[in-house]
Amino acid sequence: MADEKRMRRTPEEGHVEHLRQGVCYLPLVDIVEKAEEIILKADIPGTRPENIDVNFEDGILTIYAKVDPRQEPGTQYLLREYGVGDYHRSFQVSEAIDASRITAEYADGVLTLHLPKAEAARPRKIPVQVSS
Amino acid sequence: MPLIPWRKKTVTEQPKQLSPWEAFRSELNRWFEDMEREIFGGGFWPSAVGGFVPPVDVSEDEKHIVVRAEVPGLRPEDLELSVSGNQLTLTGEKREARESRSAGVYQSECRYGRFVRLVELPGAVDPEKVEAELANGVLTVKLTKLGETAGRRIPIKVR
Repeated sequence: MADEKRMRRTPEEGHVEHLRQGVCYLPLVDIVEKAEEIILKADIPGTRPENIDVNFEDGILTIYAKVDPRQEPGTQYLLREYGVGDYHRSFQVSEAIDASRITAEYADGVLTLHLPKAEAARPRKIPVQVSS
Repeated sequence: MPLIPWRKKTVTEQPKQLSPWEAFRSELNRWFEDMEREIFGGGFWPSAVGGFVPPVDVSEDEKHIVVRAEVPGLRPEDLELSVSGNQLTLTGEKREARESRSAGVYQSECRYGRFVRLVELPGAVDPEKVEAELANGVLTVKLTKLGETAGRRIPIKVR
């Protein structure tokens, strides 16, 4: 439970590349496996499709999203439950994924990645022949 | 498992070295913030059941109160807003895509479900003058303060 909590919007530690000032957040993700593909959904509210960078290199899938600041410094906050900053998270992807056909879409603050399984990793139905 | 969160094995250099005391403090702060949200956030403890409760920020200037909430995955039809007195009520539902129930789930961090979030405003607002906007998972509600509560300066007389 504690670990899960920490995962939620915890500023990243250690391996962040700071492209600009401010904190980076780990987006929350859901990963679902289907027969043909793996679907990854990440909650990254407050960005735009052109500011999202999905990169696949050396088996590492990286999601980076630049978020426009919307909590201007100097504003009088009565309540502030979240921070605004860029999102960054990486995943190791096995060879069973066909990297060339990864697709991404962004709607309502949710990034959805479709990671198609490589031909070899897909389930295949093998017909059983009747031998006489 | 073909897809696992990736972490660098060794942290060679930290961009900014916090003193042990600072690190301890910031860690404690984070725990308390999480705990406060769990206990007091969102009306009558709906988060205790582990559902989705949007985090909110509230700011004000002389005439307006602005409430922003992060609601990724919600469309305008999933949200309902109402104002009464000095209370803003946010009701909604974050729906889980149906496919994810039937298929195998590797990792599930996102929260789903219905929520009711009451936000206490610093003063009464005009229920007729409320603007709400939803863009890329961020809801912005701009409320206009009622005349008498708009920041009044009280002069101090010198005798």
